[in-house]
Amino acid sequence: MLDKRLVIVSGKGGVGKSAVAAGLALLGQRNGLRVLAVEMGSPGGLSTHFSTGPLEFKPREVRPGLHAMHIVRSEALLEYLSLQLRLPGVRRFGAVARAFDALATAAPAIREIITIGKILWEVKEDRWDLVVADAPPTGQIGSYLRAPRSISELVPTGRIRAQSEWMTATLADADMTQLAIVTLPEELPTTETLETMRWLEDEHIVPPPVVITNRALPELEDKSSPDGVVGEIANLHRSLWSEQQHWLAQVPPDLTLPYMFGLFTPGEVAAHMSDELETLT
Amino acid sequence: MTKTLLVTGAGGVGKTTIAAAVGVIAAREGLRTLVVTVDPARRLASALGISHLGDEPTPHVDEPLLWAAMLDAAASWRAVAMRHADPDVATRLADNEFFQAASEHFPASQSYAAADQAATFVQARAWDLVVVDTPPSGGGIDFFAAPAQMADLVGGRLLRWITGGPLPGRKLLYNRAARPMLRVADSILGSNLLERVAEFLVDLRTTYDGVARRGREIEKVMRESSIVVITTADPVPVREAVKFYRELPGLASTPEAVIFNRSLPDAWANPSVPPKTTAELRHIAELWGSETLRQRDMREEFSARYGATVATVPLSDEPLTDLDGLALLMSQGSGIPWERIGVG
Repeated sequence: MLDKRLVIVSGKGGVGKSAVAAGLALLGQRNGLRVLAVEMGSPGGLSTHFSTGPLEFKPREVRPGLHAMHIVRSEALLEYLSLQLRLPGVRRFGAVARAFDALATAAPAIREIITIGKILWEVKEDRWDLVVADAPPTGQIGSYLRAPRSISELVPTGRIRAQSEWMTATLADADMTQLAIVTLPEELPTTETLETMRWLEDEHIVPPPVVITNRALPELEDKSSPDGVVGEIANLHRSLWSEQQHWLAQVPPDLTLPYMFGLFTPGEVAAHMSDELETLT
Repeated sequence: MTKTLLVTGAGGVGKTTIAAAVGVIAAREGLRTLVVTVDPARRLASALGISHLGDEPTPHVDEPLLWAAMLDAAASWRAVAMRHADPDVATRLADNEFFQAASEHFPASQSYAAADQAATFVQARAWDLVVVDTPPSGGGIDFFAAPAQMADLVGGRLLRWITGGPLPGRKLLYNRAARPMLRVADSILGSNLLERVAEFLVDLRTTYDGVARRGREIEKVMRESSIVVITTADPVPVREAVKFYRELPGLASTPEAVIFNRSLPDAWANPSVPPKTTAELRHIAELWGSETLRQRDMREEFSARYGATVATVPLSDEPLTDLDGLALLMSQGSGIPWERIGVG
């Protein structure tokens, strides 16, 4: 994954995708890459793993060589209107942005292309070796990935349409883009991952995803059940482990991350994530 | 008098399971109980005796006082249109291609539709207790702000922003010469799209009176409900639970309890290891011990900082395929303020 220019990390809510995204970004940084980590969802999801307070739209260096930013849609839109579209004579940007955002609430793909467009511009510029996006959950990721194509279909003319073609190409390029789906060996995340993978196969928008299964328990080979608490623990562990094997068989993972027992802070979790990913890749 | 219990919290913490389990306990205590869920796992839906989406409460075959209903979140805008618009406008809205985009971009619409349906059940007075598993869209807390947000949306806020001033009629909308915003939008998006979006919003606006009036009724039901917050001892859902304790008192009422689902028993914190235990098993016991300590610290911090009633439901390895399993899980919980949530 570190060979790509853009890694998009998604997954069902609550599976630990922000921790995995943070771990990947840290791993890239440790390997000497210039990394940008992008928080796409609600504020704090990613930044809490770097323990550096809330992120802003302007990338900030959170570790040497690792920058992080939060996508603020109104600012992304202003940047888009002023820089990319080179709109002449637009002075009342605030009002224009608000009107545009209102339009985008009711029109498919406009909001999403502003967000995914900003990320793809960062990939295109040569400031970063690797951009890691902590993306919206799998339930919503489709409308983001599909946004450039939707725009081509929806908007017959207009400048936004012209932008959508190179975006579509970048997303589809296997040398550039990797989608990672984080999941858990449990029923609901497995179901959602399977649905997402079927959708991806039909749409051919991005290269085949990698599946990262989080919180996998170690196998306990010892079959004994001593009296008391240790026996209780052994029984529950074995039972949870075999339930996990059932779900792991439904979606065989490309990478398996261990259950992180007893880790308290998001910073600790991200650091361990990055160690584990290093061992695995 | 029908009591209402709103079960809230982040996605993925077992909210639906706990809502269902509370429902089973209540029904077995002799209360006529309806469990309203949004997106249950298949096994849980079949345990509750519901197999398809729909707004009709279904009585459970084996549990005489238990009903369940599974709401279709995707149908939300359609339901709003059908209920509050003139028939021909309703048809036009329901067939509109912008429906889906608007409902994806405006999670309040799903919350509004779920709250609307739940309020209808409460107002029917057919049950002693209605347990509502709230949809996780928009982070949970939005459920409580949804009625007001929805009224604001259909009331023309978007239209005013698009036109940069007064609410337009259909004709005024096309007079773009005077409106630089619309010219800019035209040049980026093409004029066709803009017109279609605006027509959709003009239609939507005709539902305003109905949506606003119903919104006030829904808010009244919410204010009179008890609330429990479900979380697991993980940073992300706990952050969400904190939001409920900080913001809910202004929107509805203070939660009765925060329930930490999948909790490990305190006795696991420092297990006494029998002498002949293998190194492998000793290691596993230590791992779970450290996890138990972490969970306990997190609960204690929550209780100290927010003055919350903290309850637990244990981590279970039983797949929940029937009502007995749900009831057993809940009966192993501790600290749940049953009376304050309307059960027993």
